[in-house]
Amino acid sequence: MKKTKKMVVVALLIALGLVLHLVESIFPLAALIPGAKLGLANIVTLIALVLFGFVSAFQVLIFRVILASLLAGSFMTISFYLSFSGGLLSFLLMYLAYNFSKDKLSLIGVSIIGAVAHNTAQVIAAYFIIENPGIFYYLPFLTLFAIPTGFSIGLVSHFTIDYLPSSLKQGVSK
Amino acid sequence: MRILDITTIYDKILIIIVVIASLIMLLIPFYYFRASEDDELYLIVQQDNQIVREVPLADSYDSPIHFTVEGPIGIHHIEINQGRVRVEAPPNDPLKICEKTGWIDRKGPVIICVPNRLSLWIESTNSDIDGMSW
Repeated sequence: MKKTKKMVVVALLIALGLVLHLVESIFPLAALIPGAKLGLANIVTLIALVLFGFVSAFQVLIFRVILASLLAGSFMTISFYLSFSGGLLSFLLMYLAYNFSKDKLSLIGVSIIGAVAHNTAQVIAAYFIIENPGIFYYLPFLTLFAIPTGFSIGLVSHFTIDYLPSSLKQGVSK
Repeated sequence: MRILDITTIYDKILIIIVVIASLIMLLIPFYYFRASEDDELYLIVQQDNQIVREVPLADSYDSPIHFTVEGPIGIHHIEINQGRVRVEAPPNDPLKICEKTGWIDRKGPVIICVPNRLSLWIESTNSDIDGMSW
């Protein structure tokens, strides 16, 4: 794929992720379990990971998190650090899972790993801020909740990649 | 079914492992925080790693107790009523998670406001394991 075309697609993915990140805040899931969310923006990260590999997917993630926090006005505040730490750990684990056990785990499994890692990293980050171990009380609820959300996000990514034009999918082993 | 064709056996093993690990973590607090009848319950209010207030819940049965705690992003109104505790978040709290947690009335659940570095939980006088142990 041409360098320019790749750049455009990565930029589009960042924009898409940004919109999904903001749409996500409409769903009041945090009323159900404190800190729970759908992880819609993870669809875009997963697609970038499958299409372009580590570097571009990492760009998509970092720019999405920073731009979303700038738009929401929470850059360099605590909710930015929570989102950043969750995104970072879930991305690293999803990359490892996708790269080294591609034939064993489907995108659904990769996505569930990402969702669980996101929740764990957020709770650990929140623990360092609030310094009260009682916050780990919510971790099992969050990881249980991560299964349906991670499953559906993985499913959406899987089917989205099926429908992408084949010119984008050069080098994707399917 | 197409969904079942996509998921591999390792996906299913992963899901089962996560569910079992979550359930085990869920049960730990129930094991440690078994309620006994003669416990006297206290509300602990912690901010910035310092305990700023301790209130016996028994005091709230006659009339509700109200007090406020001030943090970096605003003032929290804390209400104790009939042995239950809830928090009203300041208007500029972005997620209002502490308010959405609702009432707590036993050991285990914690009301947490991360932006204000505030946490509230219930402890009993005669427990040898306090909230810090796990």
